[in-house]
Amino acid sequence: MSGNDQISSPKTAAEWISARWPHRPRFGVVLGTGAGEVANAIQVEQEFAYQEIPTFPTSTAVGHAGKLICGELCGQKIIAMKGRFHLYEGYSVETTTIGIRVMHQLGVKKLFISNAAGGINPNFESGDIMIIDSHVDLMFRADQSKGIWQLGRTFANQTDSAYDQEMAHQAMACARKNDFAIFRGVYVSMLGPNYETRSEYRFLKKIGGDTVGMSTVPEVAIASQMGMRVLALSVVTNVAKPDALEATSGDEVVAFADVAAPKLRLIIENAIREDVRR
Amino acid sequence: MLDLFDKIQESVAFIRSKWTEQPKAGIILGTGLGPLVEKIDIDVAIEYSEIPHFLKSTATSHRGRLVCGRLNGLPIVAMEGRHHLYEGYSLKDITLPVRVFKALGADLLVVSNACGGMNPYYECGDIMLIEDHINLLGDNPLIGINDDRLGPRFPDMCEPYTRTLIDRALTVARKNDIVAHKGVFVAVAGPNLETRAEYRFLRTIGADVVGMSTVPEVIVAVHSGMRVVGFSVITDMCLADSLKPAVVEEIIAHANKAEPKLTALVMGVLDGER
Repeated sequence: MSGNDQISSPKTAAEWISARWPHRPRFGVVLGTGAGEVANAIQVEQEFAYQEIPTFPTSTAVGHAGKLICGELCGQKIIAMKGRFHLYEGYSVETTTIGIRVMHQLGVKKLFISNAAGGINPNFESGDIMIIDSHVDLMFRADQSKGIWQLGRTFANQTDSAYDQEMAHQAMACARKNDFAIFRGVYVSMLGPNYETRSEYRFLKKIGGDTVGMSTVPEVAIASQMGMRVLALSVVTNVAKPDALEATSGDEVVAFADVAAPKLRLIIENAIREDVRR
Repeated sequence: MLDLFDKIQESVAFIRSKWTEQPKAGIILGTGLGPLVEKIDIDVAIEYSEIPHFLKSTATSHRGRLVCGRLNGLPIVAMEGRHHLYEGYSLKDITLPVRVFKALGADLLVVSNACGGMNPYYECGDIMLIEDHINLLGDNPLIGINDDRLGPRFPDMCEPYTRTLIDRALTVARKNDIVAHKGVFVAVAGPNLETRAEYRFLRTIGADVVGMSTVPEVIVAVHSGMRVVGFSVITDMCLADSLKPAVVEEIIAHANKAEPKLTALVMGVLDGER
């Protein structure tokens, strides 16, 4: 099914990065579509194309030239993934989460994850940000997670919450201070790569979903299981209206992701400052 | 998915060596619905095992050959027997024939299946025009690196089943006094039939009928830019509170009984393609 995978070891990659950037960053970021402004805010010290990093998959997908950015944000060491790996590209859960496992090896304790997502909750508007409070995993790939979760607890502790409550509250306070709307809700992860049918949107709404996307959950599962504290944010790029037929355009998705980019930057910078303060 | 392009060319080249017409439509016939083939003026019928990259068929009452010819004078290709996820095949291989249809020149996919009816207003032997679907297969035929020659990375799914074709089929049904519904098909992997609790779940999430096929082929047809019309033949009723064991022989008997109605609707839809 995949044919697009290779064995990935976080240790080899982490050692390779440490040899070129000898720091123990406390913060990690996975930048989804439209989060480029956060990457621009980082004072870059080292940059590695994914192809250079040993055991990282060599992504041949068009438009997915990902890179790892190492540097400082708000005076703190940070490592950022610009571009991520998706299950729909044919990667296994193991490969999809290689970046998270490398960040853990490098010492990352707090992880920010963003994604561009479809809005299911009709209260949302394009460009809004939703703090992921919980998720529904409809990716059907949990079986693949066996055997790669060797770094921490055997089972991911998602009974409490994989999503850090304190960081969520900090993000909400930041939104209030800066006068922009923010929501909390449930992210549903689907395999993709096609967008959802109208019936699927209705289904996801019925089971409690607020946003839907094709990423994040494998990354959060691994991060949570390794004991990292996670703040995950959905950028609502288009609100699905299953009762009024309308096609989703890729350009629209990118445009609304741009609207949200400055908000993402404020939230992440605020979280770092709050962390340093204590 | 980067290996598909060459495979499609090889399959097409083989079919072209036996049949040179350009089909208007590709047809996939589901469980017990094979007899539609009798209406086709067959130019050539090719066993799947002969065609490069086609899978063999292992499911009950699925014959396993590609029929090339004319239905009411309209050039078509028809798959007599299809493949399912529960047979252990990958969705990429299962859906290759749809891409071959497209490469042969067909821009319309006609797909049919035998399904379980969960909407209590349906009855065994009724036909439902698929208005929309829910994919609960836990898999997707488009996974892998996208080949932009075949279709877009993120196909939109706001209208996978062409509305004008649904309307055309329903008009034909009314004219011929055939009971036909319009509803939502949910695809599950199978091969076991659903538990009562699963039927309640599938009904709750908005599905009218349930089956183990069709959705992969439709996703690939949409990816390929084809129009789609889908027919579900209700071959057993799956009402959670009065569930009886399903008998495969009965399912096939119902499919066979409904088959002339399906044939009439398919012919009616294709008549409008002239």
